Amino acid sequence: MRALSREGVFYLFALPFAALTVLFGLWPIVLSVQVSFTASATALRPNPVYVGLANYATVLADPVFLASLARTLLYTVLAVAANVGFALAYALLLDSKHLARGRTFFKLAAFLPVVTPDIAGYVVWRWLFDQSFGALAAALKLIGLPAFGGIASPSTAMGAVLIAELWHHAGFYVLIFLANLAVCDRALTEAASIDGASRWQAFVHVVLPQLRPAITINLVYAIIQFLKTFSVVVVMTKGGPADATNFVSYYAWQMFDQAQYGQATAMASVLFGIVVLVGLGTYRLSDRGRA
Amino acid sequence: MAKRRDVLKAVPLLAMPAVARAAEQLTVWHDMGDNGTKWFQQVSDAFAASHGGTTIRAISYPTDQWFGRVVGALNTDTAPDLIYNNYERVIRIANETGKVADLAPVLAGITDKAFLSTDDLRVATYKNRTIILPVQRVQMGFGVRKSWLEKVNEPFPVTWDDAKRVAEKFQAGDPAGSGKGSVFGFALEAAKPRDLIHMLDLFTFGAGLRHTLLAPDGSVTIDEPDHARVLEAFLRVYATDRLVPPDTVNYSFNEMYQVIEGGRAGMFRVGDWNVGKWTAQAIKGDFTVGPWPAFFPGKPGNVVIGGMRGVAVPENSPHKALATEFAAFLLGPQAQQASLKMVGSAVRTDLDTEGLTEAAKRFAKPAWPLIAYDFPESVHAYYPELEASFHRKLLAAIAAPPPDFAPFIRQLAGEMRESAKALAAKG
Repeated sequence: MRALSREGVFYLFALPFAALTVLFGLWPIVLSVQVSFTASATALRPNPVYVGLANYATVLADPVFLASLARTLLYTVLAVAANVGFALAYALLLDSKHLARGRTFFKLAAFLPVVTPDIAGYVVWRWLFDQSFGALAAALKLIGLPAFGGIASPSTAMGAVLIAELWHHAGFYVLIFLANLAVCDRALTEAASIDGASRWQAFVHVVLPQLRPAITINLVYAIIQFLKTFSVVVVMTKGGPADATNFVSYYAWQMFDQAQYGQATAMASVLFGIVVLVGLGTYRLSDRGRA
Repeated sequence: MAKRRDVLKAVPLLAMPAVARAAEQLTVWHDMGDNGTKWFQQVSDAFAASHGGTTIRAISYPTDQWFGRVVGALNTDTAPDLIYNNYERVIRIANETGKVADLAPVLAGITDKAFLSTDDLRVATYKNRTIILPVQRVQMGFGVRKSWLEKVNEPFPVTWDDAKRVAEKFQAGDPAGSGKGSVFGFALEAAKPRDLIHMLDLFTFGAGLRHTLLAPDGSVTIDEPDHARVLEAFLRVYATDRLVPPDTVNYSFNEMYQVIEGGRAGMFRVGDWNVGKWTAQAIKGDFTVGPWPAFFPGKPGNVVIGGMRGVAVPENSPHKALATEFAAFLLGPQAQQASLKMVGSAVRTDLDTEGLTEAAKRFAKPAWPLIAYDFPESVHAYYPELEASFHRKLLAAIAAPPPDFAPFIRQLAGEMRESAKALAAKG
């Protein structure tokens, strides 16, 4: 009876938060999916006209959307690998006993971009990449290296966007790795070393398995984040040049801008499905390995 | 305590005028920024004097937001009393909502309207309904930095060859004094479909051609010899001539204005609405404006009438009768004079231009050749989709220029014919 009463109190306290989650978290998603089944012109009316899967059929037959989806998946793979890989290496360096000085400075250097407003950061990156007055072009010219197309060339625009996002997001992943490294058992590494394991072997077989929680969190979070890449595109490239950075979120937003609400929400729903599937899949895979 | 009582007594007194005014206030949503809002405020005072104190509350939204908000509001019966924008955006609103009122009876009731041309009335009409009352003609000329022209010892460019020569001199001569390689010949834009096509429209109509992509009968025009010549010159400015900033492919209006106002380009579009700001602030009057460069012998360049801003009344306007009265009032001399002063354009031809700057006078009493857009979206509902696909192909050619543009244009024309046919069949 006492246990039931404690449970009751728990649910009583949890109820407002659950209600808020449903209201502001789930309800907009449900509404968005609902709009994806309506004719755009009637989507916002009290009695919209439902068109079944017509918006999905249109979207999936649109070559620009399919190219955008493929581009988004490629960018996500590259961005996740770059961010999580860089963050792991950076965190290991920060955690190293060989780093005698400047640990706080390097931590701040990694984390400050995370708290910088993304719009401001990306505007500065756009200027850095500018072909006529950008610092990067000037520096490359000064040291005699070939010019980098930056955001002005379709072949380099995705790379330029990736660099700007790496600057903005990597610090967060570094922080997660550092938190995990702080609770790793150093005695195990020392024991491996005494037993004759090389540094690489100790890292792969002793340190890395202990970092699995951080790797899982970072992978899942990064996948979700980069599948939804949006603000960097709005500020730096507007999807160009020649669609080189026209990712699904941005393309869907363009559709919203044209009042094509049905198709836009169909695109958003497809992306949402992919995000959920890939996110859950990654989590399950990592969790299974842990067991 | 006494003080608190006084305050409490004052509350209803303070609230009363607001309540009374709210009953006689019309709301208009526009996208013309501060100048537009000031214009509506001036017109509001004049309207109030003759309409029992009815005032106007003007709210300006960035164009993208304006469109979404208007569609949402009209579709959910939370519409403002009036909406104000370019005719083509109102066409889209009419298509998306079906709730833009037919103003034909209002127009018929206006006696003083001889200043409206056939073109003006044509753009106001969509699917046999008068969806806007045309209030401001949008003129766009070709501007050049006056001091730069003097420094490179060149007159105002008349032909496209002149313009290219001047652009090269600007880039080589550093007329801004900010260091060689820091300035460019032209400021253009290309990021979004409307950006690039809008620039091409100016080149095409400025050269005296009648259609950018599609004729009224639905035939594709881009590979006709004159059109192909202008299109190739246009693509080469971006792709091979190196006369625009290299990042122009990512420029939309904001970035283009930064280039112009930051003194990084010598030649640019001047809209009638730019003249006020560019005379008083920004480039402080250091520009001269004229027709777009001519491409063909015996065919002069033109200033382009790029659209018509007008007022529309939603079917579900909260005060529809009063709103239509205000819409008609915007064609009267008081509102039009204020429009000329505050926004730089009007439709009446009997306005006082004394006190306007030289550049503003040129737009107010145009003596230059004028040519109007062909407004294909009012004829072909599928035009925006076709145009978006055209834009993508052009951008791809700018990003990776073909060895020869002539076969590219021929092939593109073929692809556009196929697309137009498919889109027309789809309805």
